[in-house]
Amino acid sequence: MSEKPFFVGYLPAPGPLRTFLLTACILLIAGLGGAGFLMGAAQDDPGPGAFRFDYGRQTVTGVVEVTPYPVIHVTEGNDRIKPGDSFMMTAGGKSGVDGRAMPLNGQLAQVSGTVLERGDLYMMQLRGGRNGIQAVEGDAPDITPEPQGRWKLAGEICDGKCLAGAMRPGRGLAHKACANLCLLGDVPPIFVSTQPVLGEEFLLVVGPDGTRLPREAYDHVAQFITAEGEITKHGDLLVWEIDMDTIEVTE
Amino acid sequence: MSVKYIPVQWNPNKWVYDAVMLAGVAAFLWVFLYLTPGALSHEWPINPQIHNARAFGACAFVMLTVILCIGPAARLDKRFLPLLYNRRHFGVMTAFVALTHAGYILNWYFAFSSSDKYVGLLYANSSFGQIAGFPFEIFGIFALVCLLILAATSHDFWLKFLTPPVWKRLHYLIYAAYFSVAAHVSLGILQDQQNHVFTVLFLVGAGAVIVLHLAAWMQERSEAAAKDGAWAEVARINDFREGYAKIAKLATGDRVAVYLMEGKLSAISNACAHQNGPLGEGKIIDCLVTCPWHGFQYDVRNGRSPAPFTEKVPTYRVRLMGDMVEVHPDANPPGTYVEPVALPEPEPDLPEEGATA
Repeated sequence: MSEKPFFVGYLPAPGPLRTFLLTACILLIAGLGGAGFLMGAAQDDPGPGAFRFDYGRQTVTGVVEVTPYPVIHVTEGNDRIKPGDSFMMTAGGKSGVDGRAMPLNGQLAQVSGTVLERGDLYMMQLRGGRNGIQAVEGDAPDITPEPQGRWKLAGEICDGKCLAGAMRPGRGLAHKACANLCLLGDVPPIFVSTQPVLGEEFLLVVGPDGTRLPREAYDHVAQFITAEGEITKHGDLLVWEIDMDTIEVTE
Repeated sequence: MSVKYIPVQWNPNKWVYDAVMLAGVAAFLWVFLYLTPGALSHEWPINPQIHNARAFGACAFVMLTVILCIGPAARLDKRFLPLLYNRRHFGVMTAFVALTHAGYILNWYFAFSSSDKYVGLLYANSSFGQIAGFPFEIFGIFALVCLLILAATSHDFWLKFLTPPVWKRLHYLIYAAYFSVAAHVSLGILQDQQNHVFTVLFLVGAGAVIVLHLAAWMQERSEAAAKDGAWAEVARINDFREGYAKIAKLATGDRVAVYLMEGKLSAISNACAHQNGPLGEGKIIDCLVTCPWHGFQYDVRNGRSPAPFTEKVPTYRVRLMGDMVEVHPDANPPGTYVEPVALPEPEPDLPEEGATA
């Protein structure tokens, strides 16, 4: 019977084992490197959302509307943001600007901050305190919501800030806990429709009768769902009042 | 083997082992972190924090898979035994890589909120009643806790303090950790991605762990010499080889290693006092049974390590029934001397009838 090489940890490896072990070591290192490449290169595109620091700080004036999530309808814009544009607002981190915006509901205000942009989705992260939002003199034009009827939509509920580019990727099931934290912090929720609705892919999603998105809906954040609800147009922003009883999870 | 505790008993093989392991981990992370961004044609890159978290998370999964493949591979082919030698360092490194992954996740997804990030981790997603959107983070937390417990108790101090059987059972937590990681990945990133290359790699890794364990278990089962009755059959005399053992599994579930040394049979427990390594898969070196895992040595006649070492293993009585070697299933207290049983002298070759000188 042939003598098999026997390895003892504190003794030199037997000669016949050395070639085998050398091969195993090389394969292990190469295998780990190869696995790193395959796994790293298989990551999905996170989408085009981003903080647009390259635009510089943006300051515009408009009418504040609490939908109940704060929106501004621009009356005096600049080179990039035009009068008639409407966009949502948020604070730094996972926080909204409800406390600062609510006292200014229906009034003219100047807002200043950094833009987050993802295609047609526009959001502004306001500077802190009164530097971010403050009342200005002048008559505020009426913003009249325009009913667009009841719609059944398919898509995903996300937090607007991460989706708009605060995080890449900023949507999906792996991001659900983060999205929930943002929504709990009053960041506006967005519904990403699989098909354009009245020309828009992104809608601000709220609860029935203009209330905030109900907590029950948080279970469905990041899921692919269908639901029904009334759509109204606020400036150039679509707001969808989701009917909780109609939510269905789809594959 | 040692008579005192020192942090790590370094020797050249351990240096080589750790160098290879670190080179492999470095290769994985370097390629993932710095090479793959160039291969991805994304308009906007993945956030560095998320990219880093994914790199360390994927690396921890691959390391855990390799660790769990080493054991059964060494049972199926003993040439893999040297990979077992310093597997503890592999495990400790895996815990650090997994901890780094958790750090990136915690300080990115759960930061920037008005609530504490640890609290946020536990309450942000409470959708436990659904598959899609299940708070998969909980499985990651459990796996990380398991890995940290294993890393913290990996030192020989804990082995001695807890006793090898308890220590061994505690370290079966590695399987709980792996299942938990599998659930963490399955309910998390696997549900979220469009590119399924990672899914395939995940299935190949987890499949390798399962297949290797099944193969090792089946081989062991087919070789088991478990028998009922007072004495258990081990093997026939002719099956023994000088300096090596035959392993018998007793009805109690314990395993016995019966060694042939200098023409005599002696039986000791198959479980090394160090880490329950399979003594029967070792060999006699310098008249001492040498464990294949870490080289702990025992006198096969009394189960004691040579002075000044103090390790002891149980011994067993051996007898011959015809050409069958049997052991009594009742173990003697560790370190008990048992007189070796000499094999019968081979019969001399007789000249054929009618032959002449």
